[in-house]
Amino acid sequence: MIPVSIQMRQALGKLVLPLLVLLSIGIIIAGQADRKLADKARMTVADGLAPLWGLMTAAQHRVQAVSTNLREAGRMASENARLQTENDNLRRWYDVAVSLTRENDTLKTALHWIPEPTPAFVTGRVVADSGGIYARAVLLVAGTDSGVRVGNVALAANGLAGRVTETGARSSRILLITDIASRLPVTLDASHATAIMGGDNTPLPRLMYYAQDTRPIEGERVVTSDQAGAFPAGLPIGRCITCIPASPLWCRLPSLTT
Amino acid sequence: MIPDPSMSAWEPEIRPRQTLWQRLDHGARHLLPSLFIALIIIFFSAPLNIPGAAELLPALVIATVFFWSFWRPTGMSGLAVFLLGLFMDLVGFTPLGVSAFILLLVHGVAFYARFGLMRLNFLLVWGVFALVAAGACLLQWGLACLFRLAMLDIAPALFESLLTIGVYPPLSALFSWVLHRLDEKEDP
Repeated sequence: MIPVSIQMRQALGKLVLPLLVLLSIGIIIAGQADRKLADKARMTVADGLAPLWGLMTAAQHRVQAVSTNLREAGRMASENARLQTENDNLRRWYDVAVSLTRENDTLKTALHWIPEPTPAFVTGRVVADSGGIYARAVLLVAGTDSGVRVGNVALAANGLAGRVTETGARSSRILLITDIASRLPVTLDASHATAIMGGDNTPLPRLMYYAQDTRPIEGERVVTSDQAGAFPAGLPIGRCITCIPASPLWCRLPSLTT
Repeated sequence: MIPDPSMSAWEPEIRPRQTLWQRLDHGARHLLPSLFIALIIIFFSAPLNIPGAAELLPALVIATVFFWSFWRPTGMSGLAVFLLGLFMDLVGFTPLGVSAFILLLVHGVAFYARFGLMRLNFLLVWGVFALVAAGACLLQWGLACLFRLAMLDIAPALFESLLTIGVYPPLSALFSWVLHRLDEKEDP
């Protein structure tokens, strides 16, 4: 330290603040006059601090990730509790199902019940909509190689779709139940009335020849009937609707959109 | 009273030469407020998406500078204030030198008013600080208007001054506690 007298040092100390104020004013003016220099200085400082900021941002992201994980863990705990109660509930239902199956089996043996033959399924994709001689028919990529025979029943996701009319080795043609040539015996589920469903090339096939004393109920299920032995009984087709009272009945088909 | 047999008690004017560790300790104590401000500046300029960071940073810095200049000027010298202000300008987007200028003015007011205001109670000191803070924020706004050559919206400046005034009591409590701890360590 330079040896200066106490008075001198005090005088210098009093001068420091005004000098610094003047210096800052000078910097303000210089910064306004030469903006490029100011920006350069700014960028130098920012460059120096960039790793520090990166570190802080990384830490913040880490903290956010941890907090998110914690929240997620809390949510998972409640979810776990919910699933456990549900699992207990389902276990009870499982017991009920098992006992009911047992009971069913014993009843069936007591009645000497002959089980129906389990139907065999072949699943194929519809590849073409060309009808051939029919207006409403589709081509399926599943043929005699896969075991498809003429007269087999075709089911879509929501119910009956049609019957196989022609088969090739790897493809088969299906006559849809909406085709004008399609006639099939049906049963109305609730009123137990039998009828014939005839297609008319529209999405709503007509219900015909139902018994006059049992009027079909609006909205009841229409299922196949095994009257002619053509279909197994009970395949879902659709729902019964009447557009106008005392007029022909139609059947709304959930399975077909053609 | 029995005289203390240690050397320093015999001749209190002559102290033993400070060791390196003691000098480091002393220096760290003097640098504590400046380091605090520097860390605050770095923290608030980081892209952390803190709401109101742009207004909170000057508020905290002004309050800290005022407190230390008022109560313990050895911990907040004019040079430190100048450098911190310049640092704030370089890191932030204020015109270069403006923060340094304003902080120096705050420091000067606190430094010269301390002898008159030291005996007043906290509320009056706070009132004085409120005036200083409002003046600083308005000055900043005025300078910004001057540089842009246009009248800017005064609402952010008012918000900033209110934030500065509001942030002073908690900071003051914190720093008073720090001062107590430092004093306790200095003369046990």
